[in-house]
Amino acid sequence: MIVKKSTHEALNMALREEMTRDERVVILGEEVGQYNGVHYVTRGLYAEFGKDRVMDTPISEESFVGIGVGMAIMGQRPVVEMMRMDFALRAMDQVYNHMAKIRYMSGGRLAVPMVLRGPEGPGPNPGLTAQHGQQLTAVFAHCPGLRVVSPSNQYDAKGMLKAAIRSDDPVVFLEPGPLNNKQGEVDDGEYLVPLDQADTKREGSDITLIGYGASVALCLQAAHELERDGVSAEVVDMRCLRPLDMAPALASVHKTNHAVVVDYAWQSYGPGAEIVARLMAEGFWDLEKPVTRVAGKETPLPYAANLEELSKPSVEEIVAEAKRSLGN
Amino acid sequence: MSARPQPKLSPSPATAAARFPLDAATLRNYLRQIVMMREFERLGEREFKSGLIRGYYHSYAGQEAVGVGFVNSLDLNRDYIVDHYRDHGHMLLSGMDPERIYAELFGRRNGVSKGKGGSMHMYSPENHFLGGDGIVGGGIPVATGVGLALKQQKRDGISLSIFGDGALDTGTFHESLNMATLFQVPTVYLCINNMYSMGTSLARHSSMPRLVDRAQGYGMGTEQVDGQDVWATTEAAERIYARVRKQKKPYFVEVLTYRYQGHGIHDKALNYRTLEEETAWHERDPLKLLSSYMIEEKIMNRAEIEALRQEVVAELEAKVEAAKVEPEPDASELLEDVTL
Repeated sequence: MIVKKSTHEALNMALREEMTRDERVVILGEEVGQYNGVHYVTRGLYAEFGKDRVMDTPISEESFVGIGVGMAIMGQRPVVEMMRMDFALRAMDQVYNHMAKIRYMSGGRLAVPMVLRGPEGPGPNPGLTAQHGQQLTAVFAHCPGLRVVSPSNQYDAKGMLKAAIRSDDPVVFLEPGPLNNKQGEVDDGEYLVPLDQADTKREGSDITLIGYGASVALCLQAAHELERDGVSAEVVDMRCLRPLDMAPALASVHKTNHAVVVDYAWQSYGPGAEIVARLMAEGFWDLEKPVTRVAGKETPLPYAANLEELSKPSVEEIVAEAKRSLGN
Repeated sequence: MSARPQPKLSPSPATAAARFPLDAATLRNYLRQIVMMREFERLGEREFKSGLIRGYYHSYAGQEAVGVGFVNSLDLNRDYIVDHYRDHGHMLLSGMDPERIYAELFGRRNGVSKGKGGSMHMYSPENHFLGGDGIVGGGIPVATGVGLALKQQKRDGISLSIFGDGALDTGTFHESLNMATLFQVPTVYLCINNMYSMGTSLARHSSMPRLVDRAQGYGMGTEQVDGQDVWATTEAAERIYARVRKQKKPYFVEVLTYRYQGHGIHDKALNYRTLEEETAWHERDPLKLLSSYMIEEKIMNRAEIEALRQEVVAELEAKVEAAKVEPEPDASELLEDVTL
């Protein structure tokens, strides 16, 4: 049955269903248990599953990610929460050198079926500032051995988290912070969303707007505005960043011949750069204009309300970039 | 400047043996194991210098009595090891075939990690050996997670986390020991203190000379053990493992030993330690202590020990030669074992 749920409620449903289905699924993280989850994703699970399944850790990111790695190679299915994805920088040795590499270094003799999840980007609340609201997608998506996904709506959030928990690969599950409290439709029954398929979120014929995570919502709003000006925009959600599925974006560009890539991350070396490069390599002859980008400004996330807004990609910028591409 | 670390004076083998007797068959086995580890590294070093082994080579020579006590005393039907990069000796003691280890060192497709891991990254799940690890302190949380999984799966085993003195200077050591007690994890933290964190002596890298003192404050039992004599390491390991199994709580042990080579084979250890110090440690060489006791006690004579050594060398030489002619990985294997 389709129900209306916030993103954190959709994620909570996924965790509850998977923990009920499989007793190897264990949650670790800061304030996930008694506190009930800082962003509400683990709400109620401590009461329901107890302290051995929902484990409150000290502020020791590197080591509790490493503990997750150790549990995973022993056949548990740990879901490790970062209160903010920014804090994963503290754990990067375990993420890059252990979680991502043990399968390959062991010649495939060990697997690391764990999920590292948490909110990234400037939200849900404003004013997160420079150390709590970063979009670090590229840091994870750069590393072979990890699967990296970021859903753009509540339905995908639930289905992809369930698929991530069942994956035999380590998965970095990036929850779009700005969407944490936003509501949308979710199926309260059993379903999975694949971890290797991009998805077209809106059909259109004139231009392709490409985003992932929270930037998909901006693309959809921009498409709505463009429609009023007689421009038909298609929106492609690159929800699976590693491995990156280019097929829907390439098919769309084949049709529209124009594309803008939208990204909360800093533009330089960001996921948008990879998407543009692949469009150039594989879709060059379909393009009438260079693919351009609307991205986060190259600055730490500032505090003042006006500066924070200026630092983020905006619907206005996307509309303007789309019109420029179309020569309007 | 602080004094250089000195070998810990401990009872002679005869005294140690009187305190914790080991039977003749056990001692013969231990002697063979030490010779095997020592000769394995000697041949490995030769192949490294010949260019057949690439990258880094961290020799275990000098530290063998640690593994004899602490690996032999595990029950690898139920217990697990998460090691650091100086791992060849522990792999041999875990029951891995020397040819598969040499094959990995030579980058062969039938090496224990299919030629993808190398010296520091060998894994043998069937022998419950869950890796060496190339990052100082990197394996400590992993071993803690292995212990936590054993607990959650209601299994009987313990995990052994092996690391060097340098790892006490990393955050993961302190974070992991704290969580091990919070979560009541059946993990033994074995710090092999060989007196040097790469080229930096204990006096120059540790705020306190006794590493056990730095492991205080995490609510677990700790002790310091002589790592040169097999009686001391065996006695400590058996007692500590029994305690951890019974109490289902973590434990920290610091074992004092010395590596004969530099940090890696390329490191000649010329700039940071003295010949006098090396000589003092060689006086208490684990092989020498054990073999002289066995000669005195007439368990084996000199000729028999030399015959044993030659037998082991012949066996290892055959393994080296066999591994050398094994095939390299196929080019198609480059992109296997990683999701694309």
